[in-house]
Amino acid sequence: MENNKRVLVIDDEAHIRRVIELKFKNQGYQVITATNGEEGLDLIKSQQPDVVITDIMMPKLDGKALCERANELKEKRPFLTIVMTCRISPTEKDWIEQLTDTVFVEKPFSLQTILKCVDQYFGDH
Amino acid sequence: MKVQRITIAILVIFLIGIGIFAQTLHQQEQRSRSQDLQHRGNYLVSLVALHPMENFLGSKRDYIVKTLAEYVTSDGLIYCIVQDQTGSPLLSLAHRDVVAKIPTEVEQRSLYVNGFIQQTYKMVGTDQTISEFAKPIFEGGQRSGTVRMGFDLPPISMFSLERIKLMAIMAFFAFSMAVLVYYGVTLALRPLHEVNQNFRNICIDSVPVSPGSFRNGGVGEIIKGLEQSVFQLKDRYEKIQAENIDLTTKYGVISFEKHNVFNILDSINYGIIVTDIQDNITHINSYMLNFLDKKQDEVIDHSLGDVLSHDQIEGFLSQQEALKQSSGARHIEATFPELASGESFLVSLSYLSGREEDVIGKVISFKNITSEKSAENAKHEFITRITHELLTPLTTINSYNEMLMDDEIDNVEMQKEFYNTINEETSRLTSLVKNLLNISKIEMGSLTLHKGLVKSDWLFDDCLTTVEGTAQKKNITIERNVPDSFPALFADKELLKVAVINILGNAVKYTPENGHIQFMLTEQDDFIIFEVIDDGYGISKEDLPHIFDKFYRSTDPRVTEQTGSGLGLALTSEIVRLHGGEIEVSSKPDEGSYFKIRLPKEEYYLGKQ
Repeated sequence: MENNKRVLVIDDEAHIRRVIELKFKNQGYQVITATNGEEGLDLIKSQQPDVVITDIMMPKLDGKALCERANELKEKRPFLTIVMTCRISPTEKDWIEQLTDTVFVEKPFSLQTILKCVDQYFGDH
Repeated sequence: MKVQRITIAILVIFLIGIGIFAQTLHQQEQRSRSQDLQHRGNYLVSLVALHPMENFLGSKRDYIVKTLAEYVTSDGLIYCIVQDQTGSPLLSLAHRDVVAKIPTEVEQRSLYVNGFIQQTYKMVGTDQTISEFAKPIFEGGQRSGTVRMGFDLPPISMFSLERIKLMAIMAFFAFSMAVLVYYGVTLALRPLHEVNQNFRNICIDSVPVSPGSFRNGGVGEIIKGLEQSVFQLKDRYEKIQAENIDLTTKYGVISFEKHNVFNILDSINYGIIVTDIQDNITHINSYMLNFLDKKQDEVIDHSLGDVLSHDQIEGFLSQQEALKQSSGARHIEATFPELASGESFLVSLSYLSGREEDVIGKVISFKNITSEKSAENAKHEFITRITHELLTPLTTINSYNEMLMDDEIDNVEMQKEFYNTINEETSRLTSLVKNLLNISKIEMGSLTLHKGLVKSDWLFDDCLTTVEGTAQKKNITIERNVPDSFPALFADKELLKVAVINILGNAVKYTPENGHIQFMLTEQDDFIIFEVIDDGYGISKEDLPHIFDKFYRSTDPRVTEQTGSGLGLALTSEIVRLHGGEIEVSSKPDEGSYFKIRLPKEEYYLGKQ
């Protein structure tokens, strides 16, 4: 069940990186990981992943800034971004609406939910 | 009464004037008649003297006597006597008894004087005054006789008909003049009347003028009127002066109140701008002047738009202007990047109303809400952080569990690792919840210390045991330095243990493998001191002031890759503070850190009692 799709997991929590990596590898995805937003952005540019799964609260470059930068990059090359968030405040609604191909998943999430999002995205494209 | 006296005086003066005038006329007439008599006597005596002596004899004498007799009867000629050289009378026209009454010396002088002579005398035995004119008669160059004539000057009546007529004419003219002068003066004084009337009009509230005041008329009336007006003016002036004092007092009170209000406005921590209806600034308080970095005269009477030059506020004010009647909120949050970078202000608008409830201006206040905003942001940040810190281990537990349940982990070793991670994350979650509870209790002031006697060796060993497992994994050596006899403490053992473990645990967490840690307990004067020295990553200068802040975590990747909530040191600091102790820290990046907890022993002594 080899899959040529590449998934980038960005989180400063090693355990979460590890479990998502395992889940997607088991599904045949290629998985690369980053421990902070800055490193993640570099990998988005250099490795051109098809899916980016990122945490919100991270050192250096946080998930919000990363989403905005990723959004700019999506004009040239579309990809899916899944944001693992704790809570979405009403004031963030406007900000979320301007992001393309971005899904917010609230913690604690099921890995199956994330996988479904990714499968659905590739099913549509 | 006064008027009557003046009238009498004027009447007396008038009568005296008339008397003097009549007397003068009388004297004048007397003089005139005397002169006339003189001329006539001179003429008649000269005329008679031209006749030769013979004419007074014979037939010619009758003609002369007849002619002279007309004069004697009609025109005051009393006597006419022609005497020869010897003095014998040739002609005598006179009453018999008259000649006898002529004094002898008068006759003698007349008979022997060579030229014309006039003598005035009184007849012997009477008061009758006679003027005698005498002249010698010459014939052939020789004096042949003397002509003497006596004239009577009859007394003149003071009030003759002519004189009365004259005086009547004079009186008429005098009266006419008086009337003319009266009207002239009245006309001339008319402006004064008007001035007087004006004075009366000015003095509206003054004492009313009695109707009798003007009865007499003339200058007296005017003077009286003016006098009255002056009194009224004086009265009025005094009233105005009193009102002026009253107004000055009121002005003083209002100025004082105004000054007070301005002082109050200057003392508050808000910026205040007051404008008139045209949006020109009428007052600005000190806070706002300092904030705008302007002087009073650069602001007062200037347009609000020019002074503030803030599009956001101007838009807000225009919008409020349109919705003036609505009762909606009249404030806006604004920032002034050029004046106060990073600070937020709540700009509020209210309208100033006049007596008629009409809008006469605006009051715009500027409240610095940076700290409130910051507190609000901190609260939001705090909640977000807690949520994140709680949900992250939960997510790990949930997802690891899901992997195990879905049989996605075949490898037994990996399964063990997964179970272990779930266990670790559960402990992490438990510790986090406990820390949170303690922090919130401290913040709410509801954390009570359950103090008891704590043997410091037990506390020391408990802490060491807790971290030893992790230290061993990283091959970190922990060196113990303890006194020979452990002192006892009077403290909350569980909380104090949390405080010391947080320090010691951080030392293990942020010291690389094969590192070295010193854990010391000493007794110094009235203090018991715990010290932890490591040769770990150390703390940067930027991080050092914030390490006791709640949720603060360094951005150093060597720190962030370790699990941590940023609550440990915040809690330690609070626990030490609650025990009356203090905590010190010094650190150098890449060299290590030094933490020292000093707890007073006083508590122990109290406990013993």
